[in-house]
Amino acid sequence: MIQAFRHHARAGWLIPCAMVGAILTAVPMRAWAADDPGQWLEKMNKALANRNYDGTFFHVSGGRVETMRIVHRVRAGRVTERLQSLDGPGREFVRNNDELTCYLPDQHTVLVEPRQDRGPFLGSLPQFGADTSEFYRIEALPDARILGRTAHVIAVNPKDQYRFGYRLWLDEKTAMPLKTQLCDSHGEVLEQILFARLDMPENIADSELAPTVKTDGMRWVRQGPAHEATSSSLSALRVSELPPGFKLTVEGAQTIGDASAPASHLVYSDGLATVSVFIEEQLPAAAPGAATASDPAPAMPSDAPVQGLARVGSGYAFSTVVQGHQVTAVGEVPALTVEFIAHSVKGGAEPAHR
Amino acid sequence: MSEQIREQVSAFLDGELPSTETELLLKRLTRDGELRESFGRYALIGESLRGGSHRLLTTGFASRVNLAIDGEPLPASVAVVQSHAVRWWRPFAGAAVVAGVAAVAIVAMQQRSLAPGAGTPGLGTSAEIALNAPAAVTSAAPMLAENREALSYTVPAAPASAPAAAPTGRLTNYMFAHSKYSYGLAQRGVLADLLINDDEPVGAARAQPTQVPARVAP
Repeated sequence: MIQAFRHHARAGWLIPCAMVGAILTAVPMRAWAADDPGQWLEKMNKALANRNYDGTFFHVSGGRVETMRIVHRVRAGRVTERLQSLDGPGREFVRNNDELTCYLPDQHTVLVEPRQDRGPFLGSLPQFGADTSEFYRIEALPDARILGRTAHVIAVNPKDQYRFGYRLWLDEKTAMPLKTQLCDSHGEVLEQILFARLDMPENIADSELAPTVKTDGMRWVRQGPAHEATSSSLSALRVSELPPGFKLTVEGAQTIGDASAPASHLVYSDGLATVSVFIEEQLPAAAPGAATASDPAPAMPSDAPVQGLARVGSGYAFSTVVQGHQVTAVGEVPALTVEFIAHSVKGGAEPAHR
Repeated sequence: MSEQIREQVSAFLDGELPSTETELLLKRLTRDGELRESFGRYALIGESLRGGSHRLLTTGFASRVNLAIDGEPLPASVAVVQSHAVRWWRPFAGAAVVAGVAAVAIVAMQQRSLAPGAGTPGLGTSAEIALNAPAAVTSAAPMLAENREALSYTVPAAPASAPAAAPTGRLTNYMFAHSKYSYGLAQRGVLADLLINDDEPVGAARAQPTQVPARVAP
């Protein structure tokens, strides 16, 4: 009897304990799941790709600010979007599913180009897998108020100096990025986008997606699909060494400007940052058809080899000459990275991190 | 920038500006190019000030920043040494070049669509590029003049980055080709750069719209 009582008492004491334990472990689990920054990035990607939105934002980069409008509509599986610069001559990009049209009124030109990627203009981030988390650390920062709304703040921090990071302010209700910053590994802001207005209407009229540019008398230029990569069109030069985490993802050929021969185009990525390496088969100076003698004012040294570092947008380009080839590495990465990659282009060797 | 606008911009960057006022600020910025430039500077300076207390400014630099904004003194708490802060100014030159040459690149890109032997493509392109080049220079010139203080401070800080040394038309072509493969957010940056226009449009190119024959017509 005593024995049974004891047993019963112990069990009676254990049950609430187990329940408390279960609650204690469940609470942080649930809180973690709700605030998991990876899930929020995923929500953002979905919102950017699948929702209708019409917003005006500032693009602040390099001390300049541009006002832009984005209209994005998904209807019956078709994605149409328009990105319009509200300043100056008013360039506009319109994407209709997989065709990108660039209206450049100041150039009297309309460029039409097939785009295989169907990512939204405003962009998204790739899924964070084991590969990416090796080189980036995602963290949730304290919530903030922006545009009078509560936003989850998520930082994607690079773990070394070979890549840039992001900070994103995601609307609590819609997961739309109300503010985005591109940062270097010290956390300094290189570029940012701030929405001043963002509507997410049920329907968007066709007229909102039509370019405002008048195309009368403009030149239409249609780009063909990219060259097939054939072994003969690819350079024998290879990147012999890469910064940690970068792998070859695309290999192709591309005619650059008025070059007579296509350049090898190698794309390396760490899963988030991307660097393109262009290797031109011959130096442009030797290219037939490059006019210099009759050029009245050869102000652009377009026929001279390019060397050294240049800033391009929010990233860098580094050019060098290797065995008579023009080699340029370009990407939204620190100068260090393009320099590293361009300098490691050599003849014949296989990439170390392939 | 008036005190009121400055406060509005500051509140906007902190996400504390009511939406009605944001709308007004937006309209104002869209209209006023000068204000927009100030805003751009202010936004970056603001970020650098808020971004981390370990990253502050030299007093000398701060006073130059003040000149660049509108002569108002920065808070006294802002005073330390950090050469990184200077980097904010470097992009002025880069942005001017990028914006200036995007046009050149686009002209060069059209060359790709030409049928072999159609006209004299080489001549046409070179001529247009030559005509475009001065426009890139003139677009940079007003910025240089306006921000002379800041830029003169910058140049020694960033000797490695010499954007003007490269034929940037080709670089922009590379960038455009690259944009197809870069991930979303980075790609947005690339597209935005291509979308960004010159305050000084490439007038020279417009004078010669038919110099390069286009193969495809609507």
